[in-house]
Amino acid sequence: MSQTITIDPVTRLEGHGKITIHLNDAGEVENANFHVTQVRGFERFSEGRPFYEMPSLMARICGICPVSHLVASAKACEAIMAVRIPHTAAQLRRMLNLAQMVQSHALSFFYLSSPDLLLGMESDPVKRNILGVAAAKPELGRAGIGLRRFGQHIIELLGNKRIHPGWVVPGGVTEPLASAKRDEILAMIPEAHKNLRLALDAYKQIASSFKAEIGVFANFPSNYLGLINDDESIEFTDGALRLIDAKGNTIEDGMTATRFTEAIGEAVEPYSYTKFAYYKPLGYPDGSYRVGPLARLNIVSKMGTPQAEVELAEFKQLAAGPVESSFHYHHARLVEILYGIEKIEEILSDPKILDSHVRATAGVNRLEGAGQAEAPRGTLMHNYKVDENGKILWANLVIATGQNNNAMNRGVLQAAKHYVKDGKFTEGLLNRVEAVVRTFDPCLSCSTHAFGQMPLEVSLVDACGEAVDRVVRG
Amino acid sequence: MTLSSNPARCLILACGNTLRGDDGVGLRLAEWAEQRFEANEDVRVVARQQWTPDLAEEIAAAESVLFIDSSIKSVPGCVSLIAVEPSANHNGSATHHLDANELLSLAREIFGSHSAHSMLLTIGAGSTELGESLSDPVEAALPRAQGVLEKAVLRFLGN
Repeated sequence: MSQTITIDPVTRLEGHGKITIHLNDAGEVENANFHVTQVRGFERFSEGRPFYEMPSLMARICGICPVSHLVASAKACEAIMAVRIPHTAAQLRRMLNLAQMVQSHALSFFYLSSPDLLLGMESDPVKRNILGVAAAKPELGRAGIGLRRFGQHIIELLGNKRIHPGWVVPGGVTEPLASAKRDEILAMIPEAHKNLRLALDAYKQIASSFKAEIGVFANFPSNYLGLINDDESIEFTDGALRLIDAKGNTIEDGMTATRFTEAIGEAVEPYSYTKFAYYKPLGYPDGSYRVGPLARLNIVSKMGTPQAEVELAEFKQLAAGPVESSFHYHHARLVEILYGIEKIEEILSDPKILDSHVRATAGVNRLEGAGQAEAPRGTLMHNYKVDENGKILWANLVIATGQNNNAMNRGVLQAAKHYVKDGKFTEGLLNRVEAVVRTFDPCLSCSTHAFGQMPLEVSLVDACGEAVDRVVRG
Repeated sequence: MTLSSNPARCLILACGNTLRGDDGVGLRLAEWAEQRFEANEDVRVVARQQWTPDLAEEIAAAESVLFIDSSIKSVPGCVSLIAVEPSANHNGSATHHLDANELLSLAREIFGSHSAHSMLLTIGAGSTELGESLSDPVEAALPRAQGVLEKAVLRFLGN
């Protein structure tokens, strides 16, 4: 008799999703799906708003990465205005986006995934959380909280709010950086380095004990997309996109936001509200690709900062070509945090960083605009059409989680086939299936996060849809 | 920023969502406390939509903590002040959000902190439906809650 295993909700994610694993009569895994079960309506209800309101409206999409939405949205507006923002404003935005990346990566690594990594996939689920980590590894708990504070405090200093700062506007930023704030950020750098080094060293010590997971956590060839600078270094805010294939060959380079809107399609599957992005010339699903830390490190040849450069070289030793296993997203995340800390320090040493000219102004000069940025979990694109008065007629957002959707689903299937045998499973084995999704750090519902008590319910359902067994955790 | 360079003797930690009716009462009280203790450097008020693990550091930097939240388990408008102890009696799924006991536990485990006083002030919620106003019983309970809050803080400070 065929059966379906349902994991609903998947725990320790940003938002709510569920996994279904379909077994055949012999109890073997035939298919598995990762479902995003919440509807996003931001594109629709932005219609009719003045375009210059879009950055602050779009920032409300997410409490974790509002800055990426601010930046991508402002860039789309600037394409409509046809303006180039001042150098200092670009640098300040870059720093803000990096600060957000640091705090978001710290949340993903320390709060969501470190319980699996530090306590073990099979550890007591009651203790497999941040409190368990704090009890077992308090120094890492401190490091995680410290890195979160580092990123969030920079956002607060620049944008006057930790969440949903309104400082980024079409044309630049609303106010220049004060020297006292610059000095305060610089004073935090040494502690951030210390905290990151603690985490990176700890990760490297334990990574080798996860060889089995590395082997089946979305470990397959795929394409990779991310922003890159002209000098081949990593970029989060400006630059252009590069798409590479599974062997590391460049498929398309110098992809602007406008080109993105032409080259990237979005497929729909009946089991998820999140779309499946793909590169149109390769079709769907062959044109599917991965974004985020793993993709970014795969497409670049250098980081552009000294310590991160050393870590990138070590990371690239993991494979002859692109690093394929999504387990390595964790490692890549830590390398990017290091880059973020170094780059923020570098930006603050820019002699023009305190310049007061931080905003360009213009009206509607084009009726369509697109902007892109790297969110912590991958490439983000905003595309707007306006009327001659600047009223939004149409909007489309392509978010990172949609671009990783195909890889997440394939990864869930790969892990389920490995861990579920003869229709039998344990909580620890299913935790590994969930952990595949966690490696991508998807943000499912953005502003509608559902926090708190997240029970895990696993149901066995027969071919007629009748539940034959049910296990509830929590 | 290191919190130890700017410690407050008493931390008021409020939680709630002002868009969900009575759930916002904690933040309303935090606003009041900001004004009441504006001139007192020993008091620090932090208001959040939810209590996140990061707040363990704030707790560790303070001598005493007063948590403020609404309660759907209490009678609407009922003001309650109880002592809270560190406890990790969660169901194993804690991620972004922790309760007062868990935050104290986290502060103890990570920072070795032992608050001299830790109390939880709750106000029974009537309605947590969408809306920015408080229900009548909760609105009516505000003066009493403010009085309890003030008394607790002054006691923490030894006044």
